[in-house]
Amino acid sequence: MPLSVQGLSKAFNGRTVLQGVDFSVSPGELVAFLGANGSGKSTTLRCVMGITAPDAGTISIAGTALDRLQGRELQQARQRMAMIFQKIHLVPRRTALDNVCAGALARIPTVRSLTPLLFPAEVQQEALDCLDRVGLADRAFDRVGRLSGGQQQRVAVARALCQRADVVLADEPVSALDPHAAEQVMALLRELAHSERIAVAAVLHQPDLALRYADRSIGLLHGSMSFDLPSTEVTAEHLNALYAPDRNLAA
Amino acid sequence: MTPHTLTPVAARRDPTSKSRVALVRPKKPLRWITTAAVAAVVVGLHAVAIQGTGFKPELLVDGWKGMAAFTADAFPPDLSWERTLKPGLEATLVTLWIGLLGTTFSVPFALLLAALAARNTSPHPSVYQAARAVLSFFRAVPDIVFALIFVTAVGLGPFAGVLALICHNTGVMGKLWAESMEEIDAGPQEALRTAGANRIQQVANATLPMVIPQFVGLLLYRFDVNVRSSLVLGLVGAGGIGLLINQSIKSFQFDSMLTHILIVLVLIVVVDQFSAWIRRRLAA
Ligand SMILES: Nc1ncnc2c1ncn2[C@@H]1O[C@H](COP(=O)(O)OP(=O)(O)OP(=O)(O)O)[C@@H](O)[C@H]1O
Ligand SMILES: [Mg+2]
Repeated sequence: MPLSVQGLSKAFNGRTVLQGVDFSVSPGELVAFLGANGSGKSTTLRCVMGITAPDAGTISIAGTALDRLQGRELQQARQRMAMIFQKIHLVPRRTALDNVCAGALARIPTVRSLTPLLFPAEVQQEALDCLDRVGLADRAFDRVGRLSGGQQQRVAVARALCQRADVVLADEPVSALDPHAAEQVMALLRELAHSERIAVAAVLHQPDLALRYADRSIGLLHGSMSFDLPSTEVTAEHLNALYAPDRNLAA
Repeated sequence: MTPHTLTPVAARRDPTSKSRVALVRPKKPLRWITTAAVAAVVVGLHAVAIQGTGFKPELLVDGWKGMAAFTADAFPPDLSWERTLKPGLEATLVTLWIGLLGTTFSVPFALLLAALAARNTSPHPSVYQAARAVLSFFRAVPDIVFALIFVTAVGLGPFAGVLALICHNTGVMGKLWAESMEEIDAGPQEALRTAGANRIQQVANATLPMVIPQFVGLLLYRFDVNVRSSLVLGLVGAGGIGLLINQSIKSFQFDSMLTHILIVLVLIVVVDQFSAWIRRRLAA
């Protein structure tokens, strides 16, 4: 099991945001996180990524609990996870290839990472192969700022591949994209999960995309798990409970 | 519920109809008192400042004869090649070189200090505070004071001017660069951090490439300012056209002085146009 999370809890200023969240993602599986605004989806991913410190809970990667690790070992375990952002977070002035190479920085000596001109040839070749995997090898030497939003998000996916991550966490990867580009990126994420045996967890705000592309869907409601089901078993009632809990209570 | 129908704008509002809400601005009784107090303070400050600077326009009226004689002496400008134009042009080049080296040689120091003095790239709060303090010091000491200090060390001449500009410009440009780094989007840097890049790698591959347009714009602006400063540095012995202007005033050769000032005018306009042209190209 590359990623498993148990009893994850988090409070901000005494206000509980996550409470006992348990889930796991297997290699080759695309899992969607659904939930209303503020239900704790981003906080979950940020805790897993180590950007936010959880109050309680165990996060294990490939069977090793992260809280047992320290220093260099912890860092190496974390590097097996890559994050994809809604706002993409590439450097617009640099080429697609240079941005993808940046995913490999942890493997490049510091002096050789001061400018893209010094990046090792094998890293550049690997980055080009990753761009090829997302269908953008022909745009490798274009500045990222010149690419469309959908293409930019695919470059970000290539950067995660170049990081050699076996867990990819994506926070609303398609929220800034038009419907066609969103379908393309979702198809890419599913294909990577299935063919490269990567564990992919994606926060989505479009339930229909989740149900069509994800193998499994997890619903978060006020910081707790509401359901964790194969996407084919998620019903309209499940979704209603997520997005209109108050209306349901009143009914 | 009545269905909405579209009515012409003019017909929609009947001026005689009573509004359901009355327009009553909340009263702020203290407002005019505050305004009056601020005005009184500003006027008072100016009165004290006029005292403190001996600001007496009547002196200017009395002294107009001296000015007229001075101006009459300056016209026509001395355009003899050997005596004025050639040394003037050569000294102008020196002034330009002082400004250029003073700007470019301060880049490595300014870059390092800026990276340490920007909140999003500094390794530690104490380093941040220390770098800010160093930048403040170099910014607070005027370049002309640095020039006087360096003249005692390396003697009169352009070299002292270059050293002075390097010091002062490091302080100013480091501060400006640090601020533009703090303003940029932190996302790309965070993305590299989560990918396991160390701090130097994050700065070199996310922060710096994002701020390059702002950096170059500020660099050109400082080049512009430094060329003008190096003129003034010439007046205290750091060489260049400033020195020649000073000499021609002291020896009452006002016609040469005017020629030198005209050359300076051309230099300033050229440098200004050049940096504007580069900035336009960068923005495109
Ligand atoms: N750094 C923080 N400090 C205080 N409160 C926070 C912080 N980060 C998140 N929260 C709060 O935690 C709750 C969950 O936020 P989170 O961003 O995880 O929600 P989300 O499910 O991702 O919502 P959205 O769909 O809007 O992205 C929100 O109420 C938010 O205000
Ligand atoms: Mg979110």
